[in-house]
Amino acid sequence: MAVEVILPRVDMDMETGKINHWFVAEGEAVVKGMPLFEIETDKAAMEIEAPADGILRGVSVKIGETLPVGAVVGWICARDEIFEAPVPGAVAEKPPAPPQAAPEALQSSGAGANGDLRATPKARRWAREQAIDLSSISGTGPDGRIQAKDVAPNRAGLTSPPPPRGALHGEWLARGAGTPIVFVHGFGADLNGWRPLHGYLSAGRGHFALDLPGHGQSDLMGPATLEAFVESVEATLVAEGVTSAHIVGHSLGGAVAAAYAAARPVRVRSLTLLAPAGLGPEFNGAFATGFLAAQGDASLAAWLRQLAVDEAALGAAMVKATLARRAERPHVEAQTKIAASLFPDGAQAFSVRTQLASYGGPLRVVFGLEDRILPAAQTRGLPGAVALHLLPNIGHMPHFEARAVTAEIIEDNVAAGDRRAAARSG
Amino acid sequence: MSAIVRELSYAQAIQEALAIAMEDDERVFLMGEDIGVYGGAFQVTGDLVHRFGEDRVMDTPISELGGAGVAVGAALTGMRPVFELQFSDFSTLAMEQIVNQAAKLRFMLGGSVSVPLVIRMPTGSGTGAAAQHSQSLEAWFAHIPGLKVIEPTTPYDAKGMLLAAIADPDPVIMFEHKLLYKSKGPVPAGRYAVSLDKAQVRREGRDVTIVASGIMCSRALDAAATLAEEGVEAEVIDPRSLRPLDMATIVQSVKKTSRLLCVYEGVKTLGIGAEISAAIAESEAFAYLDAPILRLGGAESPIPYSPILEKAAVPQTPDIVAAARRLARGQV
Repeated sequence: MAVEVILPRVDMDMETGKINHWFVAEGEAVVKGMPLFEIETDKAAMEIEAPADGILRGVSVKIGETLPVGAVVGWICARDEIFEAPVPGAVAEKPPAPPQAAPEALQSSGAGANGDLRATPKARRWAREQAIDLSSISGTGPDGRIQAKDVAPNRAGLTSPPPPRGALHGEWLARGAGTPIVFVHGFGADLNGWRPLHGYLSAGRGHFALDLPGHGQSDLMGPATLEAFVESVEATLVAEGVTSAHIVGHSLGGAVAAAYAAARPVRVRSLTLLAPAGLGPEFNGAFATGFLAAQGDASLAAWLRQLAVDEAALGAAMVKATLARRAERPHVEAQTKIAASLFPDGAQAFSVRTQLASYGGPLRVVFGLEDRILPAAQTRGLPGAVALHLLPNIGHMPHFEARAVTAEIIEDNVAAGDRRAAARSG
Repeated sequence: MSAIVRELSYAQAIQEALAIAMEDDERVFLMGEDIGVYGGAFQVTGDLVHRFGEDRVMDTPISELGGAGVAVGAALTGMRPVFELQFSDFSTLAMEQIVNQAAKLRFMLGGSVSVPLVIRMPTGSGTGAAAQHSQSLEAWFAHIPGLKVIEPTTPYDAKGMLLAAIADPDPVIMFEHKLLYKSKGPVPAGRYAVSLDKAQVRREGRDVTIVASGIMCSRALDAAATLAEEGVEAEVIDPRSLRPLDMATIVQSVKKTSRLLCVYEGVKTLGIGAEISAAIAESEAFAYLDAPILRLGGAESPIPYSPILEKAAVPQTPDIVAAARRLARGQV
């Protein structure tokens, strides 16, 4: 069934907005979570993500046209679905009102007019840090008391307190109960690369993806070393209140995850590494050099195609989105620095074999036998307790090329980690 | 080198610590009512009298004050006595020696002496022993500078903390909850020490901090497992030592979770949880609180004899679940 794409409400008092740019054209394939279009409100421009996998259809609104919040701007259909154009300009049901109450409601809430305002110490501190007037907020606590979440309903949003020093940008792809899964991407990628896989994992658990230094929305602040990256990951998890996690890392992110797990074994319930770096010196140095040197879309796309056996697995839309993001924030300088530090002269200058041997928890390594970036042969000689999954006909991107299998391996490992933790605490 | 680890009960772990301490150090000896051939009211000393003889495992007359006086005197003159009070309730009789003598002498004599004494006190309700054999009096002793007060939760800590207490130059009161004596856990063979001033995070969580020691800590862990099924992740902190109290660990946790629940079996008013709550309110964690601090303590009543009322008089696992749930959901 076709999924509506609507103009969402992205800030509290947004009534209308306009579309500046579509990242995907009518009739093209989209992957849930990839940037679909950019909207502009009175305050900011923002990328809106595709709500589903499928083909974009029925785009009728004009670029720059002012639209009411909730307007249907297109549809995402299944590949073989016959699409019937709906009535243009139809307004979908309005999204639920934001948690902020209307001004008149304040009089009866906990936030009284003169100094008798009830707010928790944390809510007061957050309001102070962000220069928010508490009397403009209505509390959802007992007797209308203002709690921290009333001040900053969306911690990842514009109103969250500044992250502590050293913390990286990250995003909760899903919120949920239990020990969350933390995803660490590879060189040249960013957290958006996890979105396709995310849809294959069962719901209910929190999924947190971060941008490594010099990638996505995280700048390279400190030295480009594995140790510094591990510290950044730790600072990020502390800032997010993640006290223990299942970690999934890809490529360079796999090495970071392994080093993190060795440094903080208590906090890592399970470790799943997809084509991890750091298992041996060999490495397709031409890829990093070419990827960093690529100036145009065509050359960059050519290098990206090296990643997978079947380039369709990456998806044209994915490549396009990567190009768009890179055009916006290239990080070429930072990534050149990282490459020079971690894989100089086309060799991996670091090893995580010792770390893998010292981490005692459930550990699985997934490698594509046709990996053209890191050779699968490097998985020889891993500690005996490590489960090794060698996938035929798969390249460097198991999380794109073999989503269902990779998701299943992750789920199994996560379950093993939880069982082990439960056995220990019991 | 890694020591052999066995599953031992809490009582066995204590007995093993006593045996190691006596084997390693001739100055260590045990005193208490019925600790010899009878093996102790809770069978903690067991057959130690047959191993070490009546000179080192001494049955004392039914005079807690007399026994405590002898123990303090022996400690002052260079011995390392471990004195067992059959029930912590009987400490009322020995208070003069513990509070006015043991805790004070190092200070009153300008540091020229110390009192390396350990007093073991079975504590708490749940055994149907009624009002004079079921109290939790930890807060009394934790109020006295000059004493150290510990309350281990696991067999591992019971052994390691008792060995550390015997080695300590100053008086240490060890509370042992009667319901824990049969609980089992991994205990390494041989000598090891667990520090007398560090709390332990028993379970990590992000939504609410529960501070509880002894039997209350094991109930808090049960509660946390139930809460986790509802999506509430409780962090459980076992203070282990009540004096000194490791507030740094608790402050750090509250800064993370923004919510604090103190659980203790002693009477709620002026109990350990009252102290922890106040210390948090004074600390840097105050600005991180997103809900009032809650205490779950014993009822304002002597412990009743009726089993149903006895249970109702102290926090039970469902009480902890309910309180933590209300805190985490912003209902307090």
